[in-house]
Amino acid sequence: MSFARFIIKRSLQGIFVVWGVVTVVFLLRFSTPGDPITFIAPLDASPALRQRIAEELGLNQPLYVQYLDYLAGLLTGDMGYSYISGTEAATRIFARVPATVELAVAATVVAILISIPLGVISATRRHEPADYAATTFSLAGISTPNFWLGIMLVLVFAVQLNFLPTSRRPIGFTPAMGYLVAGNPAGIILWLQHITLPAITLGTYFTALVTRLTRSGMLDELGKGYVDAARSKGLPETLVRYKHALRNTLIPVITVLGLQLGTLIGGAVITEAVFAWPGLGTLVINSINTRDWPLIQGCLIVIGSSFVFVNTVVDALYAYVNPQVVYD
Amino acid sequence: MTEDRQSRVSRRRYLQLAGGAAATAAVAGCSGNSDELDTETPTGDGGGNQSGDDTGSGGDQGNQGDGEFAVTITQGQMDAGLDPHDHRETNTDIILMQIYEGTLNRNPDGQVTEGLAENYDQAEPNRVRLTLREGVTFHSGDELTPEDVAFSINRIVNEDVGDLASPQSDQLAGITEARPVDGERAVDVISDGVNPMAIGLLASYGDIMQKSWVESRGSNEINSDANGTGPFQLSNYVQDERIEYTKYEEYWREPAEVDTLTINAAAESSTRVNQLVSGETDIVENVPPQEVSRINSNDNTSVEAVPSTRVIYNGMRYDVEPFSSLQFRQAMNYAIDLETIVSEVLADFSDPTGQPTLEGFVGYNPDIDPYPYDVEQAEQLVEESGFAGATIELHTPVGRYLKDLEIAQAVVGYINELSNVDASVNQRDFGELAGQLTTGNIEDMPHWYLIGWGNMAFDASQTLIPLLSTGGALSSWSNEEFDNLMNEAGGTADAEQREQLLQEANQLAHDEAPWIFLNRQYSVYGASSRIDWQPRRDESIKAYEISQP
Repeated sequence: MSFARFIIKRSLQGIFVVWGVVTVVFLLRFSTPGDPITFIAPLDASPALRQRIAEELGLNQPLYVQYLDYLAGLLTGDMGYSYISGTEAATRIFARVPATVELAVAATVVAILISIPLGVISATRRHEPADYAATTFSLAGISTPNFWLGIMLVLVFAVQLNFLPTSRRPIGFTPAMGYLVAGNPAGIILWLQHITLPAITLGTYFTALVTRLTRSGMLDELGKGYVDAARSKGLPETLVRYKHALRNTLIPVITVLGLQLGTLIGGAVITEAVFAWPGLGTLVINSINTRDWPLIQGCLIVIGSSFVFVNTVVDALYAYVNPQVVYD
Repeated sequence: MTEDRQSRVSRRRYLQLAGGAAATAAVAGCSGNSDELDTETPTGDGGGNQSGDDTGSGGDQGNQGDGEFAVTITQGQMDAGLDPHDHRETNTDIILMQIYEGTLNRNPDGQVTEGLAENYDQAEPNRVRLTLREGVTFHSGDELTPEDVAFSINRIVNEDVGDLASPQSDQLAGITEARPVDGERAVDVISDGVNPMAIGLLASYGDIMQKSWVESRGSNEINSDANGTGPFQLSNYVQDERIEYTKYEEYWREPAEVDTLTINAAAESSTRVNQLVSGETDIVENVPPQEVSRINSNDNTSVEAVPSTRVIYNGMRYDVEPFSSLQFRQAMNYAIDLETIVSEVLADFSDPTGQPTLEGFVGYNPDIDPYPYDVEQAEQLVEESGFAGATIELHTPVGRYLKDLEIAQAVVGYINELSNVDASVNQRDFGELAGQLTTGNIEDMPHWYLIGWGNMAFDASQTLIPLLSTGGALSSWSNEEFDNLMNEAGGTADAEQREQLLQEANQLAHDEAPWIFLNRQYSVYGASSRIDWQPRRDESIKAYEISQP
């Protein structure tokens, strides 16, 4: 099978998975308790008002009609209208995507900057205090719940020490970069200040995971024959470790990083709530509180699709760079 | 989606807006200068972020630069759009009440005062005449006319006016029409019969919009732009994130002391408290009792609490055993130690109640005390009722009202202390529970449930009719004598006589015990010491009432 056919096949699979996600998310509305009309109409609304709202929202249609309508809408980029505000769901959801992507990428950057050096140090100084410190850190990182870490970071660095703001995102990355290009760095500084704590919160689990992965990968590589060969050729130890061994270690690490980006986009919900970060996570939580189904469904579909998309791209890249992969 | 809903946001209009917004963003992104950036940053608008570059003294963040008084308010949620007639939601109300006003008003204690109308008069039992103030202008610069006032009221009560079926029509219950008075600066508000409530309703509801402004705009624009007569005008609106205002210099009263105002939202209560304590915001709403000490122990912040208009109660269905027995219902009231629930569970951020109507409302009966805590009396009444050994289950929402689950658990705990009743708590999703309570059919309702009810009209009838009269929207009780009293009160134009009848209805409700009477909830806020502000009983936050200490 050629690479092109492999890509086509994977994309078709991806589309089927997305369709599955859409269907499950759609059916979720009917299996969850709580009538959306209760949240839209006042408690003492007359039956006539409730009936009118149901008609306006199309909730009185049979299930299959609603489903087909919804699918047809999605194909044209229409995710329906918010039950609460009547605004286009797609507009509101896609307005939130940049904030969530910024946070996921920033968390990944935090993870890379900390975890790879830590993993390398840990592997090259095995059974030394530095190794114990790094493994302890990664154990703690994996076992610490996100929300707790976030609240603690805010209490220490924002409330007690006043180093950083507690929450919110007053400016996005793109406009901040725009100002920077025009010679004004204030925006990007403000952006960095606001994203630091959420990025650390979200990135910690990930950092711990990648540290362990780097450490074990590096240990593996250092024990292999080609390393001994390089050493016996008289190459300096630094070159052996960082040019040869680390490079091979990083191939699986990068795959994991790619795959985890999807998890981060979905997993940002709690971090976003703690930091009032205006991303998809906050929108999902607010919408669940008001049973604003078009928004809930749209957000879940965007999160699910981005997961599928990232997976497909990572698979394709991996297959492209690694000649050992057989396309089947 | 039906056509009606879709017409609110026409596709073409959306594409225009999206294109415009993208272009604006692109331009701003490429040609930004520091002035433009300032409007984006909390340092510039007084949100006062405490990051490294802030060299000003702590607690004075709003007064940086040119001495501008900037205030930030943080709610739990943002608005559901900016059309003042197309929502039923307190957070949206607070965002809009800075911009829009009604013809009549209320002072912080709930008493009716003048607003855009300088004079109001119940000319006939079914007609209120509002005489409008001179010199009131909309933010567009145009003067307020009687036509604008009539149009706004009609837009709420009449589906055919202004292309909107307003969900607020029943907030102006009984009012059928408003019409300008020929040759006078006045408007007549007409009801479908005797309407002793009309003035009270107009003081709580009925925001005034400019007729020509509404008619020349689509729903999407009305929901994203604003043009009122209020003390603040819209300067920047980022849906779901924040709204910014500047004071309106041509306001018909003295211009506000606050120069610029920002309202934003954080759903997590601990996030809101963090923002307050670190000086990023000036007022936060819905502070839970466990966060109170954190706010009070900070030098620059304090907790402000005020009795709200919300009553929490346990409804009991009169048509099912054992609640069909008067003795059993009374026993449930004697069984609970309400004072202890208020002090221990609610940290005193509540008052005990003994009748459906709250103190300070028209119709409140000052002679009624809450049921005393008396276990023996309760056990004896249960025996008399013939339902000794009953097993009952309390359905309660979780997280909807201040400490709702904890209150329910305490109630059940006390009832379990009786030797002859077994009680348990059933935690319910609010939407599901409320759905069962509002089907209009009493048989769909749980037998025993906890729910809360807010009444911003400060009048007993707005609680007694929907919650206790036969066939009321949430009523699980039926009593002929009570219905007669309410009917009589509804047809009485004489204020004193009406008050008397409402008080009698409250006495009857106390004696017949269709509820376990619980607490009046408080609104609990955290406020910064850099502002001078008193919370209001009607759950509103009016930035016009904020001043510098």
